[in-house]
Amino acid sequence: MSAYKLSIYVVSFVVISALLISCAGKPEMRQTPTPVVTTPSLPAPASEPAVVALLDEADHHAARGQRDQAAASIERAIRIQPRDATLWHRLAKIRFEQGQFQQAQHLAAKSNALAGNNKRLKAANWGLIATARTKLGNHDGAAKARQKAKHFGTF
Amino acid sequence: MPPKRRNRPVKRRRTTRKPQRRQRRWWIAFTLFVLLVCVTFVPYLAYLDLVIKEQFEGKRWAVPARVYARPLELYPGKRLTSAQLRQELDLLAYRQHTPVERPGDYALVADGAVVYSRPFQFWDGDEPQRFFKATIRNGSIAKLTDMRASKAIALLRLEPYQYASFTPSHREDRVLVGREDIPGFLVQALIAIEDRDFYRHHGVDLSGLMRAVLSNVKAGKIVQGGSTLTQQLVKNFFLTHERSLKRKFKEAIMAVLLDWQYPKDEILTAYCNEIYLGQDGNRAIHGFGLASIFYFGTRLQNLGHAEIALLVAMLKGPSYYDPHKHPQRTLARRNQVLDTLHALNILSTTEVKAAKKRGLSLIPVQPIRGVSRFPAFANLVQRQLRQDYREADLRSEGLQIFTTLDPLLQLAVERQVNRQLAAIEKRQAFAPETLEAAVVVSQTSSGEVVALLGGRKARFDGFNRALDARRQIGSIIKPAIYLTALANDNYHLATPLLDKPITVDGVDGKPWTPNNFNDKYRGQIPLYQALRDSANAATVRLGMALGVDNVVATLQKLGINRSINPFPSVLLGALELTPFEVAQMYHTLADNGFKTPLRAIRAVLDARGRPLQRYGLKVSQSLPPEPVYLLNTALQHVVRDGTAKTLRHYLDPDTAVAGKTGTTNDFRDSWFAGFTGNGVAVVWVGRDDNQATHLTGSRGALPVWGAIMGKFDLEPLLLTAPPGVEALRIDTKTGLLASKRCPTTVQLPFVTESRPERYAPCSKKRLAKPAKKPLNWLRKLFGGG
Repeated sequence: MSAYKLSIYVVSFVVISALLISCAGKPEMRQTPTPVVTTPSLPAPASEPAVVALLDEADHHAARGQRDQAAASIERAIRIQPRDATLWHRLAKIRFEQGQFQQAQHLAAKSNALAGNNKRLKAANWGLIATARTKLGNHDGAAKARQKAKHFGTF
Repeated sequence: MPPKRRNRPVKRRRTTRKPQRRQRRWWIAFTLFVLLVCVTFVPYLAYLDLVIKEQFEGKRWAVPARVYARPLELYPGKRLTSAQLRQELDLLAYRQHTPVERPGDYALVADGAVVYSRPFQFWDGDEPQRFFKATIRNGSIAKLTDMRASKAIALLRLEPYQYASFTPSHREDRVLVGREDIPGFLVQALIAIEDRDFYRHHGVDLSGLMRAVLSNVKAGKIVQGGSTLTQQLVKNFFLTHERSLKRKFKEAIMAVLLDWQYPKDEILTAYCNEIYLGQDGNRAIHGFGLASIFYFGTRLQNLGHAEIALLVAMLKGPSYYDPHKHPQRTLARRNQVLDTLHALNILSTTEVKAAKKRGLSLIPVQPIRGVSRFPAFANLVQRQLRQDYREADLRSEGLQIFTTLDPLLQLAVERQVNRQLAAIEKRQAFAPETLEAAVVVSQTSSGEVVALLGGRKARFDGFNRALDARRQIGSIIKPAIYLTALANDNYHLATPLLDKPITVDGVDGKPWTPNNFNDKYRGQIPLYQALRDSANAATVRLGMALGVDNVVATLQKLGINRSINPFPSVLLGALELTPFEVAQMYHTLADNGFKTPLRAIRAVLDARGRPLQRYGLKVSQSLPPEPVYLLNTALQHVVRDGTAKTLRHYLDPDTAVAGKTGTTNDFRDSWFAGFTGNGVAVVWVGRDDNQATHLTGSRGALPVWGAIMGKFDLEPLLLTAPPGVEALRIDTKTGLLASKRCPTTVQLPFVTESRPERYAPCSKKRLAKPAKKPLNWLRKLFGGG
C-alpha cells in the first residue's frame, strides 16, 4: 500500500471516528429523558362551546367599551379552561387597556407559562410585557422583553 | 242666638235673658272643656307620637348586605353528577314538581334533570329564566337543551345561593326586605285582602270598617278584619295583646299619627317586616322575609302565587291558620284568598286554578340557626370586605356580595371532617369530640377560596380556627428551606446532605440539638430524600448553611406576611401560623411560583346593582419557575413513597399529589398541606386545649385530607418542566449519575446549568466526567453535539 493510500485511510478513519464519536457522544452525556412526569394533554374540546360563547360575550362587551364586563367573561372562561394560555393573554390585554400595567404584565407571564410551544402567543405576550414595562418606566426590562418577543418570531 | 233688633217694639221676655246667660255659660264651659281636653290630650298625642317614632325609627329598615356563593355554571363537558345538581337545586329551594311548569321547579329523569331556572341579575349581565334539560352521563354534562326552543345551550348559570347576610343591627331574627324586594303580587294581595283603601285612607279607614261589618254580618261570621295595615302594624308595636276598647282607641290614634308622619310605602315596608306570621318553638316569626324562609325555604322574591296567597291568608291568625298544625283549614283559607283575588281580577282563572292545584308546598320545619349557613366562610368574607370598605357602607347600603364559596364542596368538607375525626377518635380510643380541625381549600388557577372550615361544628359561629388558630407548623415549613436551596446554584435534588445529629446555638445562645423522628439518622442522603422522609437533622444542616434569614425571605415570597425572627428553631417549624397562612404558602407553590392572594370575594354591588369594586384576578410572579418545579417534583415524592404515602388508600396514585406532612415536636399539631392539578388544601388537626394528640401529620391530618379531596373532581398534577430543565437518572444511594448497571435509580429533574456531573460507582463508567472534553474541539469542528 502506498503512503498516499495509507494516509487517506488514516485520515478517513480519524474523520469517521471523530464523526461517530461526536454523534455517539450525545447519548452518553444526555440520555433521552423519559420525563419524570408526563406533559398535560390539551383540554377536552367538550367545553369549547361554553368558552366560545363567553369569548363572544367578551367581544360584545369590549366593543361597547365595557371592559370590566369583558374581563369578567374572560375570567368565567378561565374557570372553565384554566390552562388555556390564550384566555390568560386576552385577560392581560384587557387589563392593559384598563391601564393596569402591573397586572397585564403578570397575566401575560402566566399565559407564557402555559403557552408550551405556541411561539406566536409567546411573542405576543412578550410584546405586551415590553409595552407594559415601558408604561411603568422600566425601560431596561422593556428592552429585554422586546428581545424575547423577537426571539419567538414575528412581533 | 237671634240677633237683637233694637228698633222693634218687642215684648221683652224675661226668659230670654236667662237662656242667653245660660247659653253663654254653656259656651264658656264648653270652651273651657275644649281647652282642658287640649291641654291634657295634646301632650298625650305628643307622647304617643314619640312612642311611634321611637319604635318606627328604632327598627332600622336598612336592607342588609346579601352574601352569595358562587353560581353553579352548567355547560357540556362540565364534570357534574345528577346527585350534585340535585344538591345544588335543593339548596336553592327548587321544588321537585311534575310537570315542571314554573321557575323553581325541577324533575329528575333517567338521564339527568329537567329544570326551570329562576332569572337572576348578575353584575356582569342578566341570566334569564330557562326551561332546560341537562343530560348527564358518566359524571359529566353531555348536553344542555332548551326545552322551549329545542336547541342546544352552550352555557348557563343558576342563581347563586345566598348563605349569609350582614344585618345592620345584628338582628338575626329578621330577614329584612326593602320596598323593592316586596313582590308586586304580595302588595296587591295585602291591599285586596287586608286593607282595600290603604293608599287612600289616613291611618284609620272608617268606610273600610263599615264594609267589614257589613260583609261579616252578611256572611254570618268574620270574613274581613276592620283594621288597616297601619293599625295592624301599630298593634305589633305593643308586646301585650290587650284587646280592650281603650287599647283600640290608642292604636287608632297612633295609626293616624303614623300615617300623617310617614309615607305609605315606608309603612307598607315596615308592615312587611314586622307583621307576626307564626311561631318556631319559642321564637316568633316576624316579617314576610323570614316567613318565606321558614315555611318555604327560599327568599320572598322566589315565591309564587300559591305561596304568597298562603302567607296573606295566615295574617288573620297565624296560630289558628298554622299550616303545619292545621293544614286543612289553612289550605281552605288560602283558597278563599285566591278566590277573592280572582273576583277582584288580580289573578286570572288559569292562574287561580294552577295555584289551587299546588299543595301547601312547605318545607319540613327546621330550626333556623340565624341567617348564616356557613358562618366561618362568611367570617372570611367580612374580613376581606373590611380591608377595602368602610364598615358603615357594609351595614347600610343593601350590598350584594358575590363570593367564591362552593357550597357543594363545603358541605362535603364538613361531612368528611366529622366522619374522619370520629374514626380517628375511635381508633385512638379518645373521648368523642376531643379533636378539632381546620380546613382551607382553594382553586389553583384563580386563587379563589372554595371551602373553609373553622371547626368541626361547622354551623356554629364560634372560634374560626382556619383564620385565627395560630399553631406551630413543624415540618410544614421544610419546603421553604428546600426551595431556598434549589434556587441556589450550589444545590440540586441529588445534592448529598448529611443526616447526622447537629448542635447549633439556639435562642439565647443555648445549644439546640434537633432530633429525627424515632431517632433514626440516615447518614449521607440525596437532598430530595431528606425532604421526602422529613429528616430533621439534614434539614437543619441545610438551613443553617443557607442562612435562616434567607429561608425567612423565601417564606415571605411565598406569601407569609408575618414578621419572623430568624431563629434556628424556625427551620423545624417553631413558628406559629394559621391554616389560612399555610394555604397561601402552598398555593404559591401549586401555582408555579405565581403568588395570588387567596380571595373569597368576586364582586360587590351596591343596592342599585352597580359594581363597587371588582375583585379581579391579581397575580404576581414571586418566585422563578425552575426551583419551584424542582421542589414540586420532590413533594410528589413525599406522597409517592415518603411520609405521605398512605394517601394512596384514599386517592388514586395517578393523581400525583404533591404535599408535605407536618408534625410538631410534641405531637400537638398534625398538618397536611398538598395540591393536585386544580386545587390546594390544608388540613390541621389538633386539640383546642393544646394537649398532645400523639398524631403525626400522616395519621391525623392526612386521612382527613384524603377523605376530603377524594370527594372532589380532581385533576392530576401534571407538572410541566420549564425551559432549561432536564431529567436525569440518578443512583439513589450516592445521588450521582446512574447507568443501566445501577440497581436502584430514580429520575429527577435538574436545571441544566447546575446538574450533577459525576457518575456513581455502580454505573461502572470509568471516566469521572462524561467523555466530552478531549474531543470537544473536534465535535465543534464538525458541528456535532
